Amino acid sequence: MSEQLEYRKPSVNEVNEFLEIASDFQDPLELIREALSNSYDAKASRVTIEIDQRFDGRTRIRIQDDGNGMDEEGLTSFFDLGNSTKEDSIGYKGHGTKIYYKSDLVEVDTAKDGVGYRAVMEDPWEKLNSHELPEYSLYSGTGVDETYTNIEIVGFRSGEGFSAGKLTYNRINHYINWKTIGGSLAHRLAADPHEMEIRVELDDVFDDTRNELVQQSRFEFPQERTDLQRLDDIESACKHYPYRQRTVEVNGREVTYDIVGFVAGKEAREELPTYGRHSTQFGIWLAKDHIKVERVPSVVGSDHETPRFFFVANCQELELSANRETVRNKSSALFDALVSDLKRFLDRVVEDPWYREYLAQRKTVEIEESADEAAGSIQDRIERARYANTVSVSNSHELIARCTEYASSGGSFGQIVDFDSTEDIEAIVEKGGEYRAVALTPSLHDLFVAERAVREADQIICWEYGDLDILRQIEVDGYLGRDIQFVLSAEEPYCELDGERIPVLELQQCFS
Amino acid sequence: MTSFETSARVGDARSGKLHCRDTVVETPHLFPVINFYCGGLARTHFGGGVFRTVKEFLSNEVPAANGTDYSEYFRGVMTSVASLTDFGLSRERYLSYLETPVKSRPEFAEFDGALFVDSGGYKLLNEGSLSGTNFSIETSQKLIHGIQRAFGADIAVNLDLPFEESDVYRDRVSKTEATASFAAEFVNMDAEGSRRYLTVHGYSKAMLDRFFDTVARTLPGPIDQFYDGIAFGGLVPKKDDLNGLINAVSSLKTVLAERNLSHLPIHVLGISGRAMPLLIALGVDTFDSSTYLHSAINGKYSTSLFTSTNVAEADFDICDCPVCTSPALRQQMRGDAEYQKDILGPVAVHNLILQQQFVKRLRRSIAEGNREQLRTFLENAYQDRPQSRKFAYRVINQTLGSYF
Ligand SMILES: [Zn+2]
Repeated sequence: MSEQLEYRKPSVNEVNEFLEIASDFQDPLELIREALSNSYDAKASRVTIEIDQRFDGRTRIRIQDDGNGMDEEGLTSFFDLGNSTKEDSIGYKGHGTKIYYKSDLVEVDTAKDGVGYRAVMEDPWEKLNSHELPEYSLYSGTGVDETYTNIEIVGFRSGEGFSAGKLTYNRINHYINWKTIGGSLAHRLAADPHEMEIRVELDDVFDDTRNELVQQSRFEFPQERTDLQRLDDIESACKHYPYRQRTVEVNGREVTYDIVGFVAGKEAREELPTYGRHSTQFGIWLAKDHIKVERVPSVVGSDHETPRFFFVANCQELELSANRETVRNKSSALFDALVSDLKRFLDRVVEDPWYREYLAQRKTVEIEESADEAAGSIQDRIERARYANTVSVSNSHELIARCTEYASSGGSFGQIVDFDSTEDIEAIVEKGGEYRAVALTPSLHDLFVAERAVREADQIICWEYGDLDILRQIEVDGYLGRDIQFVLSAEEPYCELDGERIPVLELQQCFS
Repeated sequence: MTSFETSARVGDARSGKLHCRDTVVETPHLFPVINFYCGGLARTHFGGGVFRTVKEFLSNEVPAANGTDYSEYFRGVMTSVASLTDFGLSRERYLSYLETPVKSRPEFAEFDGALFVDSGGYKLLNEGSLSGTNFSIETSQKLIHGIQRAFGADIAVNLDLPFEESDVYRDRVSKTEATASFAAEFVNMDAEGSRRYLTVHGYSKAMLDRFFDTVARTLPGPIDQFYDGIAFGGLVPKKDDLNGLINAVSSLKTVLAERNLSHLPIHVLGISGRAMPLLIALGVDTFDSSTYLHSAINGKYSTSLFTSTNVAEADFDICDCPVCTSPALRQQMRGDAEYQKDILGPVAVHNLILQQQFVKRLRRSIAEGNREQLRTFLENAYQDRPQSRKFAYRVINQTLGSYF
């Protein structure tokens, strides 16, 4: 080998670095995310974001907080790349503030330890795009009592722009709750979150429906409603599953994560803010810094409907992409271990007695809805039959229908004037101008095992009663949430559903 | 004296002692199925291939047991009347087998566990008779009971007709009636101090209610006046249906409670493996199983209650049971033996020990009344088994309190 010449460091094109990182941010709302994170990290109790339009048509964004402020070092790292001084900050350290570079002007006013600072950077985006590193001027003065940070950004650039149509209170509110520290689950996942009030004021040009938006930095679950007594309540039911800490083993090392969430019906879910399609926002979310990042769709098995669940699993060992939109270490052992354990956790949820009860009630509601529909369609069919006055029997139950006619040889039964095998109550029987709704079934137990809606039936006709054990068990369990009794040894057999008697005819007996 | 004392409960699970003549079995307990008479002679421990080797362990015979005491794994064993015909049998041998009770034979002098003799009568009822190579005796409750007595049964059950998947209501009704009449006949026979268990069939509360109603009509008094325990049968076809098993056992517990029969011990016939811990959590006291032996015959070496590997690939170092820590038996299991039974016999005993150790841990948690320990043990056992995990969580939630 030849002699060593010297040590060399690989060089970095600083301008390109700044350009590239700033370009990672696409959605203008990400600026709000970044601002809120910084204020939260600075322990602010209030942060105000004002967005208006200047006389020249450019947007101006002002962010003011009462946090700890920045000193000279803090300001330096605010403008520097990959040089965050904060130990416990949100997001990918030192990258986030670079979103401010996509503008015509960045002004920072801040005060800490009795010293106030003012930094001004002009035309950063234009300069970067001309391959010039933008500079900033820095002033300081003493005798400032409070601590604060005020930032003003003029002419912010984005793919979509701050166009009047897109920037609304509603959209910002949902974005804040879903994607930023404003939607933090810290209060549910950890013991002692820091509270921050968020205030947003939009120029009337953007949204004149109200003056301001005020909210806390926390993601609120729908109100808990676990009482399942009334069937009407099922869609608004919501059960909160309290915070649990769990441990997974990753390459022989223990990694902990926190999980919290709820199970809810459709109405309860509507109470949540949304960002994007509502239906795609449910399921199991991975989170870092107690903020949702990305869903893991595979956790909810095919036995269950994803939109019933909302769970957030926070693991500080997850690594995120620069814009915080996705988990970066998805092909890691950590990710695999988390997903496996989330499946275990979800099995606990779906085997929880409340959830099982909830599922049973849902089923009842579905059958009830079908019974309600039946009530309407029976009326329609009676009307049709009244006028058409023809017999239509053309399917598998025809046999039973014919048997019925046999049984009616004495004129005691009437005539099947309408038959629809797709309905729970298949037949309409007419006798002397009176119409009856009749459920037909080969054996009585089949009808109930198939969970057909029989509430609207005037009569049940079966070939035979069938399995009496099954019928007795239905009496024990109740039928779709109702009390039921089969009194088949009586002279006129019947089944009694919540006090209503439905006569039962066993046809086989009529032939013996 | 009552035959069964419960000493501790955790949720629905209970631990206790089953008193059988001069033996006490601590519950929950797994009774391994042993076939004592396999058509062989006394000097071969009555034969039986792998069974024979297992019997050598049971009776602490050299060289199999090699001086190690295996009796704790054979505190209670199950055998069946019907197994008599498994290996072909002459009349002479049949009579000689019944001459002396198992535990009075010098061959089994070291065995002092409880002997549970199942009727196995369903098989014999189907065949109509107990048939050897040169004789045939008509199946009856009396015949079955006579053989149970001749074996020296500590626990005996009545003849029964289990339900089958294809049975319709009427079939189940007539089988229930037949079983009930055998049960009534059985209580009139001399038990000679052995414990009587009533065989029970049904998968749902309604079926079980009807079963108990039918039996109650045939007996001249309360069930617990005649019977010391419940043998829950007909569940083998459901062994892979955890949901069905859990429902059946929960229903039985409910029915027994409603009829003030909760104090009777419950034995589940023919079930072990992944369902067993859950059924213990639901309050079943004893089980029997031959899977330890059948998996060994298929060359399977158990690595946990749920998993196994081929014997040829097994790593005996991970097991600290007396079989796997014996250099001589390891040699045999590696294939260094003249007969297949000497290779697979120790594997069977290892498989059995693994199951027994699992049950023992459960028993200890229950006896200590340690709900959290039992809960954690069950959760950990099932956490990596996605198919059965949810049923485990259901049982845990139901009996030990919800996770949330
Ligand atoms: Zn072993």
